[in-house]
Amino acid sequence: MAKLRSPADLEKKREQIVSKRDPSKPCITICSGTGCHALGSDKLHEAIVTEISKNGLRRKVDVRRTGCHGFCERGPVVVIFPDETCYLGMKPADASEVISKTFVEKQLVERLLYKDGSGASVALEGEIPFYKHQTRTVFGNNRLIDPKSIDDYLAVGGYSALAKALLQMSPEQVLEQVKRANLRGRGGGGFPAGVKWETTRNAPGDTKYVIVNADEGDPGAFMDRSLLEGNPHVVLEGLIIGAYAIGSHEGFVYVRQEYPLAVSNLTAALGQARDYGLLGKNILGSGFDFDVTIHRGAGAFVSGESSALMTAIEGMVGEPRPKYVRTAVSGIWERPSNLNNVETWANVPLIINRGADWFTGVGTAGSKGTKIFALVGKVNNTGLVEVPMGMSLRDIIYKIGGGIRSGRRFKAVQTGGPSGGCLPESLLDLHVDFDELTGAGSMMGSGGMIVMDEDTCMVDIARYFTNFLADESCGKCIPCRAGIEQMLEVLERICAGKGEKGDIDLLEEISDVVRDASLCALGQTAPNPVMSTIRYFRDEYVAHIEQKRCPARVCKALVSYFIDPVKCSACGICLRNCPADAISGGKNLVHIIDQQKCIKCNTCFEICPTRFSAVLRISGEPVPAAPPLGTEVARKKGKQE
Amino acid sequence: MATAKARTTSAEVQGLSGQLPEAVLSRVSDKLGIPAGRLSRMVEVLEQVVQEKGDTDSIVEKYKADKSALIQILLEIQRERRWLPKEVLTSVCEKLGVPLSRAYRIATFYKAFSLVPQGRHLVTVCMGTACHIRGSPRLLDKVVKVVNVNPGETSADQKFTLETVNCLGCCALGPVIVVDGEYHSNPSSNELEGLVAACD
Repeated sequence: MAKLRSPADLEKKREQIVSKRDPSKPCITICSGTGCHALGSDKLHEAIVTEISKNGLRRKVDVRRTGCHGFCERGPVVVIFPDETCYLGMKPADASEVISKTFVEKQLVERLLYKDGSGASVALEGEIPFYKHQTRTVFGNNRLIDPKSIDDYLAVGGYSALAKALLQMSPEQVLEQVKRANLRGRGGGGFPAGVKWETTRNAPGDTKYVIVNADEGDPGAFMDRSLLEGNPHVVLEGLIIGAYAIGSHEGFVYVRQEYPLAVSNLTAALGQARDYGLLGKNILGSGFDFDVTIHRGAGAFVSGESSALMTAIEGMVGEPRPKYVRTAVSGIWERPSNLNNVETWANVPLIINRGADWFTGVGTAGSKGTKIFALVGKVNNTGLVEVPMGMSLRDIIYKIGGGIRSGRRFKAVQTGGPSGGCLPESLLDLHVDFDELTGAGSMMGSGGMIVMDEDTCMVDIARYFTNFLADESCGKCIPCRAGIEQMLEVLERICAGKGEKGDIDLLEEISDVVRDASLCALGQTAPNPVMSTIRYFRDEYVAHIEQKRCPARVCKALVSYFIDPVKCSACGICLRNCPADAISGGKNLVHIIDQQKCIKCNTCFEICPTRFSAVLRISGEPVPAAPPLGTEVARKKGKQE
Repeated sequence: MATAKARTTSAEVQGLSGQLPEAVLSRVSDKLGIPAGRLSRMVEVLEQVVQEKGDTDSIVEKYKADKSALIQILLEIQRERRWLPKEVLTSVCEKLGVPLSRAYRIATFYKAFSLVPQGRHLVTVCMGTACHIRGSPRLLDKVVKVVNVNPGETSADQKFTLETVNCLGCCALGPVIVVDGEYHSNPSSNELEGLVAACD
């Protein structure tokens, strides 16, 4: 491959690629993100290729493995172009039917289509409610390209923004566009990227660094993984443009080793970009030199913090330092270093190509553009969704997410990961942007959005996050190390039914100290899950402490299991599956749980057939007396009569 | 240079263990007062150690003995060996010219590293938020029962290591369990037993 030495070369190459492709030629795309991979997209791909060969269609149909489409739960997602027919949850065994129906009989495979609430089928991907209400500007190309093919990225206009920036714009003009677009950091804080870039650009020193933060440590967020896995070149293109504006010639991508596919796709992308002359010396003949190194994180939440991440790149333990001097001025090896998150970088090529005015045309007064959220938890349609800033929580959860699973009731939505908070039903009409979420006591974070229903205990959620943070605290500063530990102790006590009067006040007091006195943002925001659940779900704390009752029946110590003698039909399923042998009973005899032996594993509750629903979870009240051993079941008796 | 040297030694030892006539072996074992079986086992171990040292050296060389690559080097060693033996850490640090304490600090700070040998099969249960509210604590209880190992521990026969992680980014599929790199979405008790039985 000859290097592209000018924008003209790039355009010529692009024309070459596009001219070889016939847009009307059918192409089967199979999502190969981690989610679909887990659901068997590898085997599905093999099966589809085999079927195509069998039907003699090898020259007539293309097959492409693409990046993540976002609708992970219903994977593997298959879209057949040019019609854009979308099949969900397709299995290798379906391949033969799909190929013959699509290409021989020209028919749809009804059973693999999305079914809406009324049971009607939706054939086109864009018409599925999950996608219909989204605005996929950053994430949209994922479904079109093979992440391992730079040609695919070029075919959809890739690297045109880079050519424009390097050859038609001065670094100042690039910077001005990003500043005017008011692109705010998508990783958590929402700090304006342009302002940060300018700080690094103006900081003294010849050597400057630009860094991609792909240490997506927030549990419940995976948009950065999907972008880096599904479209690594867009992140890279943004990074090179940023480096040009800042005056940096060396970049890093810090990516978690928990994301092996992202590492491998990115590694491939860097190699291809070098081969094409889009990385290295004299990029596209502009005289600008730039290259990138990948640094894998080894599993520490705190390493996503800017100063910690930079220390890790230096080869030392990734702990934060006090930031009297910002990392934008003194970062890696005390040189000016600009760090932005994956999604932030991915927005840059769009801003350069379409202009700041286009970008600011979307969103709210203070938050421009779109944001990708990981909509997960107890919602019907889970996956990655990209929406304009300012969409209401209700629209995201109900229109896109399709509402709460199994007809349960919405209780809360958690945003912003461990630094964020839980928002109640009364805030469902909140318009999601950086400032609104912060105002409500939560935060944008990297965009995790975890929906909880009435079966979720908010005290348990606070305990869960606090446990996570206690585990992940690097231990460098005392308020975070000791404070979070103390909070955890109190929360565990409450969940164990040993809560005491005054515990809520105590939690609030410790929270204040941790928030005010911790060294880095992770410690300062650590009390958010506790503070927000106390603020909006105080009654649940009170129920745990005063009535020893867990309203959601989650906290083991406060829940008992009981078999309703009237409903039990002695089917024996719970008895056979009880791991503690705590259930006694026999043929036609009411089954009884021995409360002393019960380990509260929930197995009997889950396994009791819904037509009986005989196992009850009880909290805050005494367990009813069990009938004497040997009592016959009511149903059987009825039949005999 | 160091790599080349280590490789030569390794080749020499390999030559020895393969070709050592039994008569020689028994004479050496007589002289040293060591049973012949034990002696040949010693030669085998020696060979293995030299070989491993060669591998470690090549990883260090790959990163041009750059101090800032310490974490990356340790990640590769961890992936190859499934743990970080003390001898390896010492030799890497000598090569990079960094204090051993730095390697230990890294090895104990990050979740990816282990200072004890890991089992042949790695079972990972995701405890991320999305998995948590969809029942990962219960899934973990089941897994503990099936593999008979507590989280963070390795079974006595070195067959299984059970780990928990804070998020694998497969939130839409939660609760998620990974067995030797293969992801599985919310397996039932029976499926779980099947997965474990499939491990040799």
